[in-house]
Amino acid sequence: MTHEAVPIGLIPGPFHPRLEALSRAKGWMDWAGYMSPSVLDTAEFEYFAIRNQATLFDISPMHKYRITGPDALAMINRVVTRDVSRIGDGRVGYVMWCDEEGMLIDDGTLFRFSETDFRLCCQERMFLWLLDAAWGFDVTVTDESDAVAAVALQGPTAYSVLRDAGLDVGQMKPFDWHEVETDLWISRTGFTGDLGYEIWVPWDAALPLWDRLWAAGNHWGLRAIGFDALHIARIEAGFIAAGMDFQPVHAAMRLHRGRTPIELGFGRMVHFDKGHFNGRRALLKQRDGGQRYALVKIDLGGFKPAQDALIYHRKREVGHVTSGVWSPTTKRNIALAELKAPYGISRTDDLMAEIYVNQEGRWDRRLVSVTIQDKPFFINARARTTPPAAF
Amino acid sequence: MTDTYDAIVVGAGHNGLTAATVLARRGKRVCVVEKSGQAGGMARTVDYAEGARGPEIAHLLYNLSPKVAKDIALRVETRKLPTIAMSPDGKHVEMAGDTLRFADGTAHPEAEAYAALRKRLVKFARLLGQLSDAPPPSLAEGLAGLRDIGGLARLGLNVKRLGKQDMREFLRIILSNAYDLLLDDLADGPVAGALAADAVRGCWSGPRGPGSVFTLLYRLGQGGDVLLPMRGMGAFETAAKDAGVEMRTRSTVASVMVEQDQVRGVTLDDGTILQAAAVLSSLAAPLTMQLAGARHFDIEATRRLQRMRAKGTTAKLNLVLSATPDMPGLSDAQKAARLIVAPSATHVESAFNPVKYGEASAAPVLEAVLPSLSDPSLCKDGRQVISVIAQFVPHAPDGGWTAAQRDDLSKRIIQTLEVHMPGLQDLITHSTLLTPDDIETLTGAPGGHWHHGELSIDQLLTVRPVNGLSRYSFGVRGYYLCGASAHPGGDVTGSPGRNAALQLLAEGVLS
Repeated sequence: MTHEAVPIGLIPGPFHPRLEALSRAKGWMDWAGYMSPSVLDTAEFEYFAIRNQATLFDISPMHKYRITGPDALAMINRVVTRDVSRIGDGRVGYVMWCDEEGMLIDDGTLFRFSETDFRLCCQERMFLWLLDAAWGFDVTVTDESDAVAAVALQGPTAYSVLRDAGLDVGQMKPFDWHEVETDLWISRTGFTGDLGYEIWVPWDAALPLWDRLWAAGNHWGLRAIGFDALHIARIEAGFIAAGMDFQPVHAAMRLHRGRTPIELGFGRMVHFDKGHFNGRRALLKQRDGGQRYALVKIDLGGFKPAQDALIYHRKREVGHVTSGVWSPTTKRNIALAELKAPYGISRTDDLMAEIYVNQEGRWDRRLVSVTIQDKPFFINARARTTPPAAF
Repeated sequence: MTDTYDAIVVGAGHNGLTAATVLARRGKRVCVVEKSGQAGGMARTVDYAEGARGPEIAHLLYNLSPKVAKDIALRVETRKLPTIAMSPDGKHVEMAGDTLRFADGTAHPEAEAYAALRKRLVKFARLLGQLSDAPPPSLAEGLAGLRDIGGLARLGLNVKRLGKQDMREFLRIILSNAYDLLLDDLADGPVAGALAADAVRGCWSGPRGPGSVFTLLYRLGQGGDVLLPMRGMGAFETAAKDAGVEMRTRSTVASVMVEQDQVRGVTLDDGTILQAAAVLSSLAAPLTMQLAGARHFDIEATRRLQRMRAKGTTAKLNLVLSATPDMPGLSDAQKAARLIVAPSATHVESAFNPVKYGEASAAPVLEAVLPSLSDPSLCKDGRQVISVIAQFVPHAPDGGWTAAQRDDLSKRIIQTLEVHMPGLQDLITHSTLLTPDDIETLTGAPGGHWHHGELSIDQLLTVRPVNGLSRYSFGVRGYYLCGASAHPGGDVTGSPGRNAALQLLAEGVLS
């Protein structure tokens, strides 16, 4: 038996030859061991392409797990908090899953082929956990992480790019999931809160797909982007990120670093009436006994990004910003912040953030007001219109 | 067909019967469902052959909780048996309580050291024994209240009350190994061998294994007296019947019904439904989980339960003899004693080694009793039965148990006995061997394990059977674990059964 040498350091993903050719910034980051662009040109150009044109972002480093078998639905329903039986065939659902104490392990998207065939995509490695979860169920769990390549096509002209590439997705509603051509699946999903699709192909079919989209996209302002631009867009959309807005509990070493879906503002995604699921008993206790924290969307005064700022109620420190940016589209200073209960729930007035700014070596402190928001910061009807307009 | 009860107990082992009796005596309508045709589990008395009866698996009582006996009005007549440590040179030693002498009545040079050691061990064992009659403190699940802290605080206080020297000694030895402890005070002969054998009987451990002091103390939790139950251990079944428990033998529970995280009863394999708001399972914890279905448990719980260590090492050989065997060096009365064949502590450790590699000991360690000498009702016509517990025997030897391997094991056990009972072979009219595998088939105990799961520090108290399920309540509301895999553990104690029943009542499941 011969062993292939394991490469040392980051390895190229399926789209890497194209990304490398486009990279002016040479800004690479580690995403699950793959060389992934943090920025290819400038984050600003790339961000505005998300909101005004169309963008390609390689999401192949996501972990992808296929769960098949007669008990697939039951097995997944025992893992995740929401009722998966309510997600139809050919649909995608946002799901969260918890440990026995109700603390979030990770969130992700669940693609339903049928009642006996699902794909779960997520940020954290989950294979061993899923194997544990599969015990006692007639299912097979396969790690498809390096078998399936995927690219996110996001932005107002995304639909037009696909149409010009010969891919008809006009009738797809948000969270639809279809095999548009053999071995080419498209979902109307994304991480930007904008019109967008994710396109899934076998690993070795990645480059032809890229070239096909690239050729069709020229006319529609298609750009390749890195993580930095996406980061701004996802905060605008109000999406949470593992390791930033919550600490995936399996990776957290210290006690009490875990947060529940209820504390992260996703109580509506916890379906207590569907039978047992992991952490249900603990979450039920929390539902009845009260949450410890509240992750909230906040609007801050001023224009200095509030990343990591402490939040005060009068003089008492009550929380901190987990993700904060200046939102170029809404022209607001926005953030996600974690507050200690009851702040953010029953007490929402008199909140201030203390933002430190470094002006060429001189530190300054800004005390700005904090207003809690109910809705995502960026909402645009084009994200949901079916069929989508040309732009 | 549907019947309704307050509580259903799965498995009529002595713990299942105890749990059922405790509930029934408090006015609950209880049904015990038992797969086999006879109640008793590992504590059954069976027909060895042609009317000669004897204990099928467990043969002695030494750890029965007095609280259990009182709570279920257990009426069991017992004979206190001395222990004879058989010596290869024929100078057998009799151990009775704290006294030690040679079987011929002459003084033993280690009598004083033995008495002091045993007194000390029994004192420490009683401290731990106190913990057996209540659920373990719920540290893992958050202290439920002052009552829970009580048991722990009392233990702490009592450890403190031992005085500085004893407290230090207790804390020094509690997690250590029996071999070192015993050989600090005793020469490595049959006396140390008998104690070392007691320390690891039923365990997957040699006396040099850490934790073997704990298992020795566990045996001594009620003082360490060894009692032979007259006419066997059927008293548990009698107590249950007297309390009005309904018994359904030859019925197998196919599954436990769960709706909305609450048990609703059980379905039998013939389709019969028995409804109840509480189900107590005396099966081992992993089987108890599977009976309801993994989907009703958290993933962590199923993972821990799957990985619970339960490798049985104990085989049973039951013989019918045409006459009482000759035992040079022992009086007729001493022949009825508990006979231990373990020439030294080192011998016990060496006997454990092969089982690590899937083989049986060449010279097994034995505990033998001839119950029919004390209880003539078991046999007629001068015949005798001999009940032998043999260690160390693998649960799953390499290549599985073949007829040849079984014969070989029986032969080795008989040869080992024959050293002390010349001519034994010619007296045997019938022989039944139960390997750990057979014991698993008979009783369902995983690995044929004595305690339904190794009694080791990582599977004790607040983490028995596993972290998060230590207080009898077994995940789903109304579902309880009442067998040996729950706290405090195996042996014929009745404690897990009683504790589970009381916990169920305290948690208001039936109110």
